Amino acid sequence: MPPLRFPIPQGTLDMLILQILSLESAHGYGIAQRLEQISRSVVQVNEGSLYPALHRLEQKGWLRGAWKQSETGRDAKFYSLTPAGRRQLAVEKDSWARLSDAVKLIFDEGGR
Amino acid sequence: MIELFNWFRRRSLERGLDRELQYHFDRRVADLTANGIPESEARRRVTGELGLANVREEVRDIWLTRWFRDFLYDLRFSGRSFMRSPGFTAATLLSLALGIGATSALYSLVDQVILHALPIRDAARLVLVDWKGDQVAGGFGSWNLMSYPMCRDLQQQTQFFDGVFCRAEIQVNLSAGGDPKPVAAEVVSGSYFPVLGIGPALGRVIEESDDAAPGAGPFVVLSNDFWQTEFGGAADIVGRKLLINQHPMTVVGVATAGFHGVDVGAVPVLWIPASMYAEAIPGADEDLLRRPTFWMQILARLRPNLTPQRAQAGLQPWFKAWLLENMVRPGFPIITADRRRQYLASSLELTSAPQGHSPLRRSLSQPLWVLFAATGVLLSLACLNVAGLFLARGSARGREIGTRLALGASRGRIGRQLLADSVLLALAGGVLGVAVAPLAVRALIVFLPQEGAASALRGTLSLRLLAFAFFASLAAGLLSGLAPALHAGAGSLVSSLRERAGTGFGGVRLRKCIVTLQVAFSLILVIGAALFVRTLAGLLAKGPGFETTGILSFAIAPVQNGHSRADAGRLVRRIDEEVRALPATGKSGAARYAFLTGGSWNNQMIIQTDRRIVTGNVNLNAVSPGFFSTLGIRILAGRDFDTHDSRPAGTLGLRSAIVNEAFVKRYLAGRDPLGTHIAVGSGPDAKADIVIVGVCTGFNYRDLRDNSEQAFFPLYESDDSGATFYVQVRGTPEQAIPSVRRIVRQADPRLPILWFRTLDNQVNRSLSTERLLAALSGSFGALALLLSLIGLYGVMSFVVIRRTREIGIRLALGATGASAVRLVLRDAVTMITAGMAIALPCVAAFGKLVQAQLFGVTATDPGTVAAAALTLAAGALVAAFIPAWRASNVSPTDALRLE
Repeated sequence: MPPLRFPIPQGTLDMLILQILSLESAHGYGIAQRLEQISRSVVQVNEGSLYPALHRLEQKGWLRGAWKQSETGRDAKFYSLTPAGRRQLAVEKDSWARLSDAVKLIFDEGGR
Repeated sequence: MIELFNWFRRRSLERGLDRELQYHFDRRVADLTANGIPESEARRRVTGELGLANVREEVRDIWLTRWFRDFLYDLRFSGRSFMRSPGFTAATLLSLALGIGATSALYSLVDQVILHALPIRDAARLVLVDWKGDQVAGGFGSWNLMSYPMCRDLQQQTQFFDGVFCRAEIQVNLSAGGDPKPVAAEVVSGSYFPVLGIGPALGRVIEESDDAAPGAGPFVVLSNDFWQTEFGGAADIVGRKLLINQHPMTVVGVATAGFHGVDVGAVPVLWIPASMYAEAIPGADEDLLRRPTFWMQILARLRPNLTPQRAQAGLQPWFKAWLLENMVRPGFPIITADRRRQYLASSLELTSAPQGHSPLRRSLSQPLWVLFAATGVLLSLACLNVAGLFLARGSARGREIGTRLALGASRGRIGRQLLADSVLLALAGGVLGVAVAPLAVRALIVFLPQEGAASALRGTLSLRLLAFAFFASLAAGLLSGLAPALHAGAGSLVSSLRERAGTGFGGVRLRKCIVTLQVAFSLILVIGAALFVRTLAGLLAKGPGFETTGILSFAIAPVQNGHSRADAGRLVRRIDEEVRALPATGKSGAARYAFLTGGSWNNQMIIQTDRRIVTGNVNLNAVSPGFFSTLGIRILAGRDFDTHDSRPAGTLGLRSAIVNEAFVKRYLAGRDPLGTHIAVGSGPDAKADIVIVGVCTGFNYRDLRDNSEQAFFPLYESDDSGATFYVQVRGTPEQAIPSVRRIVRQADPRLPILWFRTLDNQVNRSLSTERLLAALSGSFGALALLLSLIGLYGVMSFVVIRRTREIGIRLALGATGASAVRLVLRDAVTMITAGMAIALPCVAAFGKLVQAQLFGVTATDPGTVAAAALTLAAGALVAAFIPAWRASNVSPTDALRLE
């Protein structure tokens, strides 16, 4: 039986992509792999939703795509964070932190 | 915006996405095979994971939002299908371009003449201050006249106004080194520029100090346009000396570009302070700054948050006191108790005037609105025509649409496709229309009456015009696409698939409604055209009541060239005599004021018989001996003036008069007019010492509709400011012009001749509004007729094709060809009658609006209406007869085989 994996929560995919790209630029396949590695295989990313998300973020101006040679020697489209994307990541991190704090507070109260 | 950009680079976007997905695919497959999964199995699994088709669609939706993508595809599809049927496309495009072009051109004029606010700060707060009631004191100028002292007094009313100014349009002789030439100018109070908020582009504008005392400001401000065209935008223009009516004045500045004064019909090239009135208006020999003479318009800037109504109500108590105070001003006439009562009952009227003041607007706004409405009707007609054509095309595309519906397209989606068709066409038509609109506007301006109009109005594209044309096109597109789109949403799918191409999706009832409306609209336009053409023809046939062929007129204004009035009188007499002696001329005469220019010298008069009668306003003029015979105006009783009637130079006053028939009929009915004593003016001090020596036939003074009472005095009374000469020429007028020029140059080498015009030309000029209405409504009517006849023909042909089988059966069963014709014509007659039934009440309702523009015919004149209706009916029957005749020739066997 495969290990139990969460489907990725709605709306957090964008944030995770921004977080991954804040460390270094990567191509789509790389991002998909890193998503799995970082979340220690507990988050399941539907590959079908990765590319629409990348293009949406690119259109919003948070990512920039450029064709570069990849580790296999073939050209791949590498995405990197724009300054606007970096600001957006900060905003999302902040609101995520507040949301999870709030949820935790509610759970703690309920447990007492 | 980025979406539009994406549309144009969608190929490279697609290629990029393909490469990107391919890379992912290959890497994933490679990883899986490295883990020992067979390649075919790996490929299958990755394909499932990725869902390539879905990913592509989702990403495309991000590039271009769904509706936008659909819309663009619709447009592309429409464009392609239009390319495939160029005949259809050309027909619809042309109808829409005509409609939109005509509407835009008229809108441009309406906007410039009527709607456009002055290019000043906060124009909405500008009001015109006008006098309602009996002003008593005399005046000169166009409309809404007030006095200069009144403006000064209103300036104290600071609880209502942030500023008050007055202005008058005049003509001056300007010379900047060369020969003087007449130019339009504006005399303004010192508050004019500050209140309007107009600053200088160079130097300074006219300020309060320039207008502090008579003669205080021998300065002028040039308009930006004039500075550019006349002085080439010279940087050293400030400080230059100009001669205004031979008086030196200094240019102190140039006004901001784009400011053309407050009157759209009279664009000044320069502004002169009111303090210089004596130099600017040589005819004025009284103290215009102190006397209550009415010669300027007063405009004011309301305080914020004050409506014209509230300010008007608030001003009345002050105005009542002012009226009493004004009666002791120097120059206030002595009046009867009755008139004093009327005078004291006067009130002030404040009207919002963000567009400034303009006699041109006053005379043109009604004709322009009428024509604008007519173009609106024409545009709707064009839309109806396009809608009809679309329905016809829709019926040809019935199978295509049926198939698309069967394949799962929603009816809304197909309706949207059809709407995209018409919007695309209308926008293309709009572009064409806008391309021709400036030409059309320029052509229209030629029709316009006043000389000022040509310089003031522009045939250029403005942002407002473009916006109007865009919205008109969009509306036209939606309007003409609505019926076909709605139609596509109705009807049974199965039957449409079963029917043969070319017969399904008829929309016959819809098309009949459209044609009925077209008939109604075009009848309205045709009746309008007939009315205006009859008006023009009637006026032309009637003529001005005097001889016009072979008569040349020209005008001079010697006092504007530094002559005294006595001098000017002598000069006019000398030129008159010398012109008459020329070999190229016959009789000649002169008048102080030109005829048929729209204006007049007028005043009340007193007739002294056994009692004292005060007349209404009588149109007055001073003419030379021989004037009447030159123009072929008959003297019915008494005699023409002779040289003894003119007083010798240096003495003032009138001694004899000739009145017209209308004057005698209204004021002296049943008496012998000859020998009756009259006076000009109406005060108790007016002495009736002028003797009527003759009666002349009536003729038109102001314009061809004018039937006023008139009185004439002898010219050369030694107080003449200028004159218009009327000369019978032998041969062409052009031959006489050089010798006339020579005579004027000998009399004063620097005196400009204001104009040379034949009287025929003058009559034509005075009819320019009527000509504009007749020509435009005539062409609109003809176009409308053509459009509706084409529509009728189209729908009838269609009906015949649809009923071919039915008609064939009828014929096979023994019906005659004539009965087939009747069958089809009955349909047509129903539509025509219904259209007329809609149109006639509309004509009756709108008739009142155009009545003022008509002459010799009422708006509901039965003859005209009947003639127009008959023309339309005859044309329509012919248009319907052709398909009907085709129906009667249907061969029964062919018709039955059609199935």
